[in-house]
Amino acid sequence: MNELSWFVVRRLFQGLVVVLTVTAIVFVVTRLIGDPVAIMLPLDATEAQRETLRRALGLDQPVYLQFIDFLRSLFALDFGESYWQHRPNIDIIRERLPATFQLVGAGMLLAVVLALPLGTVAAMYPGRLPDRITSALSLVGLSVPLFWLGLILIYVFAAQLRILPSSGPGTFVHLVLPAVTLALPSAGRLAMLVRSSLIDELNAPYVKTAVAKGLPLWRILGVHTYVNAAVPTLTMIGWEVTRSLAGHTIIVETVFAWPGLGLAAIQAIQREDLLLLQAIVFVVALMVVVINLALDLVYKFIDPRISV
Amino acid sequence: MNAYRRIVRTLAVPGLMAATLAAAPARAVDVTLAISSEPSTLDPQKTFDGGERRVNDNVYDTLLQRNLKGELAPSLATALPERINDTTWRFKLRQGVKFHNGEAFNADAVVHSVTRIFDPEYKSTATGDLTGIKGAQKVDDFTVDVMTTRLDTLLPARMYWLKIVPVNASKQADFAQKPVGTGPYRFVEWQRGSHVLLEKNPDYWGEKPQVDRARYRFVAEAGTALSGLIAGEFDFMENLPPDFVKRAPKVARRKGLEHSFSIISTISGPTKDVRVRQALNYAVDKDALAESLFEGFAAPARGQMIGDQSFGYNKSLQAWPYDPAKAKALLKEAGAEGVTVEFVVPSSRWPKTREMGEAIAGYWQAVGIKPDLKIVEFSQYLQRLRDPAVRPNVIYASHNNALLEAERTVQNFYRSKSKGAASSSVEDPVMDEIIAKAENEPDNARRQALYDQIMKRGYDEAMFLYLLNTEDIFGLSKRVTWEPRLDNKVFLAEMKVN
Repeated sequence: MNELSWFVVRRLFQGLVVVLTVTAIVFVVTRLIGDPVAIMLPLDATEAQRETLRRALGLDQPVYLQFIDFLRSLFALDFGESYWQHRPNIDIIRERLPATFQLVGAGMLLAVVLALPLGTVAAMYPGRLPDRITSALSLVGLSVPLFWLGLILIYVFAAQLRILPSSGPGTFVHLVLPAVTLALPSAGRLAMLVRSSLIDELNAPYVKTAVAKGLPLWRILGVHTYVNAAVPTLTMIGWEVTRSLAGHTIIVETVFAWPGLGLAAIQAIQREDLLLLQAIVFVVALMVVVINLALDLVYKFIDPRISV
Repeated sequence: MNAYRRIVRTLAVPGLMAATLAAAPARAVDVTLAISSEPSTLDPQKTFDGGERRVNDNVYDTLLQRNLKGELAPSLATALPERINDTTWRFKLRQGVKFHNGEAFNADAVVHSVTRIFDPEYKSTATGDLTGIKGAQKVDDFTVDVMTTRLDTLLPARMYWLKIVPVNASKQADFAQKPVGTGPYRFVEWQRGSHVLLEKNPDYWGEKPQVDRARYRFVAEAGTALSGLIAGEFDFMENLPPDFVKRAPKVARRKGLEHSFSIISTISGPTKDVRVRQALNYAVDKDALAESLFEGFAAPARGQMIGDQSFGYNKSLQAWPYDPAKAKALLKEAGAEGVTVEFVVPSSRWPKTREMGEAIAGYWQAVGIKPDLKIVEFSQYLQRLRDPAVRPNVIYASHNNALLEAERTVQNFYRSKSKGAASSSVEDPVMDEIIAKAENEPDNARRQALYDQIMKRGYDEAMFLYLLNTEDIFGLSKRVTWEPRLDNKVFLAEMKVN
């Protein structure tokens, strides 16, 4: 096996450990803080009613037995049945995944498309007006709370201007507002990073040499500095995608009634649907591991000096 | 010029009228309703689920129905049931009614509906309002007996909470996705995550409604739903927060069923003394809470946890007055000045719970009580509520008696060692005796008198901290006319669209 294959295998193994650890933590924490039976039954349910339900859900077993059961079913790719929807969790996840992929895909693409030119312009005129405008915009973007941003966008574009729908899935136009909401804070963070890494590169001796040799700016930027600034930028994009999947989509999907995995997660928490929550965390952790592995491989191609 | 105008008018008016008449039947009346959660299932008997009920209340009928005044009235039954002995109620059924799939509605469907929901294999969690029903028996095709375990005057009220399902369709695997009822609307589609669509049932046995099609969208965030309402995407939203009322195109509101209160321990700690319990009530300014936290969309509860919609409501009780001087005097008399009172409040679940808890603790402090306020997660809260060993002096709660019968409230919260939430906070043999009498009293006038006594005693003994009765607030689009019902159900058939 060559070096690269070993690297992939090693990383996959590490990833598996991460996924199992995260799942185990969620398993223990949810069982410590919540009692799904209490949430599912009305306030005045009798102890007998609660006991019946507890037994029906298998929650009368000790926690370690529940965990062993859970692991066993995981290896069979059986995520159990949702307490909340009374159907297999895998069906719910399969239904919700495409919406989340659409949202994160569109949002992140938009963030990159916004951040690259903004960051570049800022880096070319450091400390001057274009830089200050861009930096101020980025700062606003990265510090605005997603929740608030979403509601403001809905209020302006749906309620007042009436050019976009307020919420829900449907056509492409339904995706616009949630994607923009998800994109703006990420774009802010990314633009700042593109700016600082480009400034580093533009001050490097090789750029000075290239300028002295009379190379045009587009060539310096396009061939040399962008490639060199790509590693930190890609790291940041990966990080943004991860954050979106594992956090930001929960907020954006709730505000926009967008039926993705994030909305399912918050609904599972509200209803103490432990098995569904575990299944979602497992799937998201798996995606994060895969994204990181993919990034590591991409680095390798961009910069062969990076050892594996 | 004048003549010309007159000619135009003469020609135009009948022309326009004709055009309107011609257009009216052709244009379908569609409405879109934003409900706060997606149904977890569309099986009407499986679980206690707000989203499911919003949809299925229109797809299914029940034997009895509540009219706009809140009185029980016939629906799939042709009359109120007759009690033929202590534990048997006889229902006469409507003839010629069909389910949306063509199955006939008859005694078998009713017996099946009762048997199904109590089948232990089926594991329904929606039987809370049906406790005490033993079973049902067919007498003839259109007569059914419903049996209870003991004399149960609440049985007719309970039947409003039992939707009648068809024998065959309800055995199919997809019944939870494709509901089949006898109601004024039939199911068209459920696109998970997106919407449920209903259309008018052309063969409905009752009055034909105006709305042709209804789309239910699932919007958890109230701000989003409000924007959709303003934009004209939605015609209806539920749970409109009081601070949004001014921005909604149109608002429908009414005094709701929800009563916030707190259970005060009468058997242990400083609150064992009735004067301390009274002081806790006198100390809190309920009007101020209603005004500042609910923008006036709430009123002080009238010394009980049910409203005048419910049978058993005591008309003569008043809201507990706000009198901090009296609270201080009572505490002094009881020798309880500066006493520590543990107060447990859940961090969420009911509207403004946390703010209520903090405000109440502040009022207590002002009269010289040391409140030990603990705002906890809901599951932790439930543990404190249910385990007598860790029961705090005072614990916050909210009560919503959809059965509209005081008996439910009383059994849960007023009776000693009740199996419900209040276990261990009350021990009052006198009260228990009156409660037992009320439960076994078939005569409504005498029953009411007994509940009057119970409510009065609960008030005099200050068994609870009586707080607020909040309003149900709905947002509507300009074109929709609709009045909220006192039981909080939303029937499309009662909606009018301009």
